[in-house]
Amino acid sequence: MFQSFSAKVLEVRDLTPKEKLFTLRFVDPHINESFSYKPGQFVMVDLRGFGEFPISICSTPTRKGYIQLCVRRAGRLTKYMHELREGDIIGIRGPYGNGFPMEIMEGNKLLLVSGGLGMAPLRSVLWYALDSGKYAEVRLFYGTRSYEDILFRDEIFNLLQHGQYMNCYVKLSYEIDSPYFSQLENNCPQSVCKGLVTDLFEGEKLDAENSYAIICGPPVMYKFVVKELLNRNFHPGRIYMTLERRMRCGVGKCGHCIVGTSNSIKYVCKDGPVFTYWDVLSTRGLI
Amino acid sequence: MRYSKLPKENFEAFFKSLEKWGAVYGPVKRGRIYSFEKIKDPNEMSLNYTRTMIPPKKFFVKPRERILRLKDGEWVEECDEEKKVIFGVHSCDINALLILDKVYLSYPEDPLYKRRRENSLIIGISCMPDELCFCKSLGTDFAMHGFDLFLHELPDGWLVRTGSVKGHEIIWRSRELLQEPNEADLENFRKFEDRRIKSFKKELDAQGIADLFDLAYNSDVWKKYEELCLGCGNCNMVCPTCRCYEVCDLWTSPYEAERVRRYDSCFMETHGLVAGGHNFRATRLDRFRNRYYCKSYFDPQAGFNCVGCGRCDEFCPAGIEHVKVLYEIARGRSYNVPILQRKSA
Repeated sequence: MFQSFSAKVLEVRDLTPKEKLFTLRFVDPHINESFSYKPGQFVMVDLRGFGEFPISICSTPTRKGYIQLCVRRAGRLTKYMHELREGDIIGIRGPYGNGFPMEIMEGNKLLLVSGGLGMAPLRSVLWYALDSGKYAEVRLFYGTRSYEDILFRDEIFNLLQHGQYMNCYVKLSYEIDSPYFSQLENNCPQSVCKGLVTDLFEGEKLDAENSYAIICGPPVMYKFVVKELLNRNFHPGRIYMTLERRMRCGVGKCGHCIVGTSNSIKYVCKDGPVFTYWDVLSTRGLI
Repeated sequence: MRYSKLPKENFEAFFKSLEKWGAVYGPVKRGRIYSFEKIKDPNEMSLNYTRTMIPPKKFFVKPRERILRLKDGEWVEECDEEKKVIFGVHSCDINALLILDKVYLSYPEDPLYKRRRENSLIIGISCMPDELCFCKSLGTDFAMHGFDLFLHELPDGWLVRTGSVKGHEIIWRSRELLQEPNEADLENFRKFEDRRIKSFKKELDAQGIADLFDLAYNSDVWKKYEELCLGCGNCNMVCPTCRCYEVCDLWTSPYEAERVRRYDSCFMETHGLVAGGHNFRATRLDRFRNRYYCKSYFDPQAGFNCVGCGRCDEFCPAGIEHVKVLYEIARGRSYNVPILQRKSA
């Protein structure tokens, strides 16, 4: 339960000034082979001698042999993480959490709504859906603050321009103007707009009957996005969201991620982090 | 279940025989409080104690303990192998340990907790409730299992219940000290139980309270208690079912580090804080409410998360009473129960 497996840092890539993408491979080839996960699950990163923190996996299980973690420099541990170089060894334990029920959603349309760093876990879903080809359509609404803050910029821009060939439609909202955005807005006016991620819903025809919505973003975002979705007749059981809490163990023992009331207590780490809107209705305080 | 009688005059010899099974810990008076300590002489113990300050969970999850040691860049798991006999545990604490078992022994098992649980014997003892106990309302006033032996007070000795294979072993080995209980002992046992049941001063009508409680999520009563509560976290430390822990890595020398866990309290501001500065339980109201919801969580299989030991009442510096809070929240208004009269030392 406490022990972590050694993993080697294969590559460190700067995504934005604050976020870095770490590509890791387990030192033990057997673990590397047997490590399987679902989109939406997370691992505990163990910086031995410094501490542990939970991070969702942002690579897809369809591409084997490595895992990728997108880490924002936000505190003491992540600052240390950012100092890692290629070849360094860190510990990984997991994967934990329930992950997205990708099999249930097969054959349906996916609507991914992400804000800021919420793109990290959704990238796993995005590429899982595109790689497997089992989903009718993938739509991504991505709200970002500025051009510099866009995570996985190359991938997002590629999909924005050429995604329609694999039934993937990307829409981007931004808050701070930039010449790049003006250029983009000229090229594809229906896909880029200034505002919040909820503004992207405007004028959009969504097939609520055959779609699943998946949300991830900062804590304030959920309520507003869920409201938009409910207005568009999304069924509560078809709205999935992945949540964040303080976690120390990842397996439902340390008690930090407990949410709920006397009738329904949920551990975000083991009962979640993926919840449907039904869970939100029955467990108070979830969003 | 096997019942036997331990006559008073054999108590000391029986107690000495327990030392074969490990270091014996028992309740001892320390100033104003009671505490489980290592016992050399049975006369040190106060067997008619009310409640210890720190519950017996301290033997299984220590207030502060090393869980891993860093050696050549790899974590090494270690566990102390001390054999223990915990003597004189009350029913509520035995039930609390069963609640902790559900958490720590569910998959994946906590290796330290499991090891220590296997290495210790629990010997329960009957007790008289004081003005703070409300275990009867929660059904935790009589331990049905979770102990190795349970001693029930009789005027001339103890009625011993055997609750495990290890318990049978102890009884077998000291069989010459024990007798078969007779009719009179049974009558005394019955009398004691009657007296015990009648001496509860506090009760909680737990029927349906989970729903009433859930509905009171936005009740004004929370606001009242937000003002009253000092947010010190005493109640978490003394609670036999509180189990939150915090983990941090410490360097013991320039080359060696250890991963340490310690009790955490949900009244601390950092309990809901995540990287980036967002706090999921930012106000004291959120934290107070979280504790009460966590304690009153009604698990369909396990029942309530609270055992009614009365520790949080006794050690709350603001005099907040658990049962009173529950009543007020459930009824949505102040409930007229006199504020606890604190015993002077």
